Amino acid sequence: MTYKEIQHLYWRAGYGLKPRELQYLSTLSKAVIVDDLFKKSKTIVPLEKDLSFIKDFPQDKLKVNKELRRKFNRRNFEETKILNIIWLKRLETTPRVLRERMTLFWANHFVCRDMTTSHILQFNTTLRTHALGNFKDFLKAISKEASMIKYLNLRQNRKSSPNENFARELLELFTLGEGHYSEKDIKECARAFTGYNYEFDGTFRLVKRQHDFGQKQVFGRQGDFNGDDIIDIILENRQCAVHICEKIYSYFVNTNLNDDHIEKMVKVFYSNYDIEKLMRFVFSSSWFYNSENIGTKIKSPIDLIVGIQRMVPVHFTEKRELFKLQTLLDQFLLDPPNVAGWKGGKSWITTNSLLLRIKLPSMILEKESYSFQTRGEERNSRIVSVKNKYQEKLTVDVDWKAYRRSVKKISLELLRESLILSDINKGTQYYVNKMGLKPSRKNLVKLMSLPEYQLC
Amino acid sequence: MKRRHFIKNTSLATGMALVPNFLKAFDDLMPEILSHRNLVVIHLEGGNDGLNTIVPFNNDIYFNSRPKIAIKKQNTIRLNDDLGFHKSLAPLKRLFDSGHLSIINNVGYPNPSRSHFVSSDIWQTASSHESIQTSGWIGRYLDKYGKMPYDAIQIDDDLSLALRGVHRNGIATRNAKQLYRSLQESNFNEILSYYEKEHHAEHNLGYLYQTMIDSKSSARYLYETVHDSKLSDKYPKSGLSGQLKVIGQFINSGLDTHIYYAKLKGFDTHASQLGKQDKLLKVYAEAIDVFVKDLKKTNRFKDTLILTFSEFGRRVKQNFSNGTDHGAANNVFVIGETLKKSGLYNDLATLQDLDANGDIKYEVDFRSIYQTILTNWLQVSAEGIVNSSQKNLGFI
Repeated sequence: MTYKEIQHLYWRAGYGLKPRELQYLSTLSKAVIVDDLFKKSKTIVPLEKDLSFIKDFPQDKLKVNKELRRKFNRRNFEETKILNIIWLKRLETTPRVLRERMTLFWANHFVCRDMTTSHILQFNTTLRTHALGNFKDFLKAISKEASMIKYLNLRQNRKSSPNENFARELLELFTLGEGHYSEKDIKECARAFTGYNYEFDGTFRLVKRQHDFGQKQVFGRQGDFNGDDIIDIILENRQCAVHICEKIYSYFVNTNLNDDHIEKMVKVFYSNYDIEKLMRFVFSSSWFYNSENIGTKIKSPIDLIVGIQRMVPVHFTEKRELFKLQTLLDQFLLDPPNVAGWKGGKSWITTNSLLLRIKLPSMILEKESYSFQTRGEERNSRIVSVKNKYQEKLTVDVDWKAYRRSVKKISLELLRESLILSDINKGTQYYVNKMGLKPSRKNLVKLMSLPEYQLC
Repeated sequence: MKRRHFIKNTSLATGMALVPNFLKAFDDLMPEILSHRNLVVIHLEGGNDGLNTIVPFNNDIYFNSRPKIAIKKQNTIRLNDDLGFHKSLAPLKRLFDSGHLSIINNVGYPNPSRSHFVSSDIWQTASSHESIQTSGWIGRYLDKYGKMPYDAIQIDDDLSLALRGVHRNGIATRNAKQLYRSLQESNFNEILSYYEKEHHAEHNLGYLYQTMIDSKSSARYLYETVHDSKLSDKYPKSGLSGQLKVIGQFINSGLDTHIYYAKLKGFDTHASQLGKQDKLLKVYAEAIDVFVKDLKKTNRFKDTLILTFSEFGRRVKQNFSNGTDHGAANNVFVIGETLKKSGLYNDLATLQDLDANGDIKYEVDFRSIYQTILTNWLQVSAEGIVNSSQKNLGFI
């Protein structure tokens, strides 16, 4: 494989490679490279977050003590911010890049937001565990997650008065896609998920007296279905495989869907909903490496922040600055905008965000000052709180030594090939040509500041 | 030469960045701005419960369907014998009484989607549910009639689908200074000085470069043209007020912009609806109140039309959690000084004839509202923007 193809694979399946890693992999065959990607991601390592603070908030006391509950919420708020940083750090340092990439992808499929840190961590671990596993098991596990039960009002879904919120998103977002079910299906599905609840520690609990054990008619079938049965029934519909494959294609390959490629993916996926098998198929297929798929995806803000730091290790002394960046760039881990998650693609780009994105490398690496602006106050987010100030510099330690080691005997051309996957604009190419031959710090920042670096 | 033009021209002629005085409003020195018409679109995101906004306080079906959350007559502000405002809308009563507000009931479209995203897309793209277009209706207005990227501005960090056309987009900015400041301190200009046009904007790289070029031209224009309004300090502290304050500034500064877009989020009231909606409607009404006063001060209200919509209404029957689930047809507010049909444009559905889900059936297609606004207010042909034949409602 060419450098470009390998870097393409690693940008879509991970967060990019350093020039030397690229050089090394280019000596191997495609089969070995793809297999290696999966091997590296075999193990499942949950985010490591200390949760001992919960001991200070015993459940029986929380029930009766309003003040303690308030304190508990405030504490959770802070602890969740720490979890955000831990996740970000993981992305920057992990060798298990594919599992991390998949976890983030699924976090934007099974979109969820919660207040309770322990539940959020548990949800995140479930994403991580099933990220390359079986989609059916995955879905069943997700439906029983405390965070999901809260987020989509399953707690309020009772036999006496069903709440449709979860059932609707299950069909519309998680499985079939809009237009492949009726309003009646939603109502009947909702009945099957009645009584879903959880314990304080986040364990799933079915409240039998609130569960509707009666007959349900859904997708032309009748029976005393429970939630898991419904998931089995939905997945029998090939449309579910189509919907998931389309979403995977759109995220990993190209937002312009190719029906032919997707049909091939569905054939692989529909038989047993094995996610790893599907992803292996995608990354091994020749069309994945077609030129129209390379360097044409707009990086997400997390891709940018992580990508820069995987090239040059950076330590943020002030963690709040990482919150600020995520807020300004409009992608805050653990805080999706709505049930449909981040839209991705061109929606990342506005006049404002693009300015900031282009400036980001020099802000992080050269500590250039920047102006920023508060977000709208009506955003009902609990995590985001940014003060309105102007002209700040990031307080970061940049490990230039590590960078210099990593580009020893590397030409500027190879550095450029590692950083830029898209075609370069003719005029801009002239600007690049003037940079000389050295992969200096200055040239690195210049390359990362090109609009072309926004793509992967 | 008028002062404002003088300032503009001098700064252009000398190429020097003249620092405009944001702090001081120089309305008095300004000539009557050669006025053009503006449209302000406000999206109440999440699906506002129209039945608890314009309350049918004599309707038994309404009360029977909502034992816990129906609003009683004495808690509404009477509009006629059957309908009353939610009490949070008190500030709008003046507009209603003076004929500056038109309430259009039962607005929707055939075969309604109850998905936020799909229904929002339908409203934003002026599509039918069967074939949803990928460009927004304001975006297509820009495609056909736009000259500059700032012809349509959303006061936000992100740009809604509504303002994304096939060839042209509106711009998103939170205020007049933000873009300019950021532009000054980036290597944007250096990169752009080398750029050679070769891409189509449909491709992502072309899109990025085009966005950069648009930013540059808009940033300077906004920075040099916008000044503070007199009523700036009167706006309440809320997200929507903040957006309308900036729009007020822009309109009062005589920007060439034709369409402004703002959003108020949080209307997805599946549980404990009453308190939440009280607050949101209060935020909405108070913001509108100051905004209209602000525009009246400079005599610009007569050139401004405010359209407020939500992607759907909510179910007539409440749910177990004292909230309401996603519904269908809903009311739309049109605010302006020269309405031809003000007050209640049509009667609210009787609630006897609901659809299979127990939702209000649509009577007025939302696209006919767009069509009416485009034709009668912005005075352009709606052809190519609203792609289905709609009748002119003649409310303006």
